[in-house]
Amino acid sequence: MLRKKIKIINELGMHARPATMIVKVATKYRSDFKIIKDDSEINGKSIMGVMTLAAEYGSILELIADGVDEEFLLEEISQLFVDKFGEE
Amino acid sequence: MKSIKVKDFFHEKKDDFSLSLLTDSKMVNKEIISEHINRPGLAFAGYFERFAYKQIQVLGETEISFLQSLKGEKLYDIIKEVLVYDIPCFIVTKGLSVPDQMKFLANELNIPIFISRLSTDKVFHLLNTYLREFFAPTKTIHGTLVDVFGVGILLTGKSGIGKSECALDLVERGMKLITDDVVKMIVKDDVVIGSSNNNYGYFMEVRGIGLIDVAKMFGIQAVCSSKRIDVQVELMPWKDNMDYERIGLTDNYVNIFDMKIPIIYLPVSPGKNISAIIEVVAMNFMLKSYGYDAPKEFAKKIQEEIQKKSK
Repeated sequence: MLRKKIKIINELGMHARPATMIVKVATKYRSDFKIIKDDSEINGKSIMGVMTLAAEYGSILELIADGVDEEFLLEEISQLFVDKFGEE
Repeated sequence: MKSIKVKDFFHEKKDDFSLSLLTDSKMVNKEIISEHINRPGLAFAGYFERFAYKQIQVLGETEISFLQSLKGEKLYDIIKEVLVYDIPCFIVTKGLSVPDQMKFLANELNIPIFISRLSTDKVFHLLNTYLREFFAPTKTIHGTLVDVFGVGILLTGKSGIGKSECALDLVERGMKLITDDVVKMIVKDDVVIGSSNNNYGYFMEVRGIGLIDVAKMFGIQAVCSSKRIDVQVELMPWKDNMDYERIGLTDNYVNIFDMKIPIIYLPVSPGKNISAIIEVVAMNFMLKSYGYDAPKEFAKKIQEEIQKKSK
């Protein structure tokens, strides 16, 4: 199991489009994927879950991947955050 | 290119248009090749540039009273000038009478003249509808058309994916079948209308049983002869890596005769109740056309929440 903390650096936060991107990437992998924000933990492959986190700019998320391809999953997801989900 | 024989038009529509044939009944094999209608007033007045002689020519009170105002040789010459064109037919409205010279020349030159007892307006309207429908582009595709809560849903997908079974399930739930297997599509007033390509009734093949008659089995309320196609639903086998729509913020469309029809790619897997999902597709379509878009509303709420937190 791998854990990683990541900060949201795109100004609009994790709205519908970034949430879709995360879920689409996550569902490609076989590992389980969870996201924790404050006191809520959600399944990172569920669109409703990811959207309802309503994670704002500057907030910190904890990503947890568990499975055979956990490394690659975290790497690709992290890259989305780094790329600000293609915004700006 | 499509065409209607004047003969066929007359036999098919004489009651609807209350038509009678004025000229000799050795009905020429004239053909109508244009969906438009012309009023030849200007041609009778001597202006032949852009004279649309290939169209059906409708003579109303104005044209007839103009012709009646002329006499003798002048009338004969004017009519002859027009009738030498290869005109498919004339329709005179309101049961008006045509000058004898015109009848004579029309017989000579093999141009049928019909008299309709209807008003010019009415003839125009009926003719327009008839011709537009006849000349409208048609296309048949492999699929099943159902009416779900009044929304026309075209089910497509590979043979054996379960289109007919899905339609059957919907019929059991009180929906209507328009046609199974082959859908004939036609454009009418900027909408795509689907219907059966035959008149044999509402038969359907169910794998393992064979042919069934839906109208006999479920009653007349379970069928409908034609329906506007509102949404296409493509049933496809579930694939793990396929990019299925998750939120629905972006709409997909297919082009049918340059008309944009929303399309939904629906993964099918064993144990999944497709007909319940098709009902949801129909209801969602209705909500959207009434201006309520669930994904947008939801995304808006999330955005508001994010903004509130960012402050």
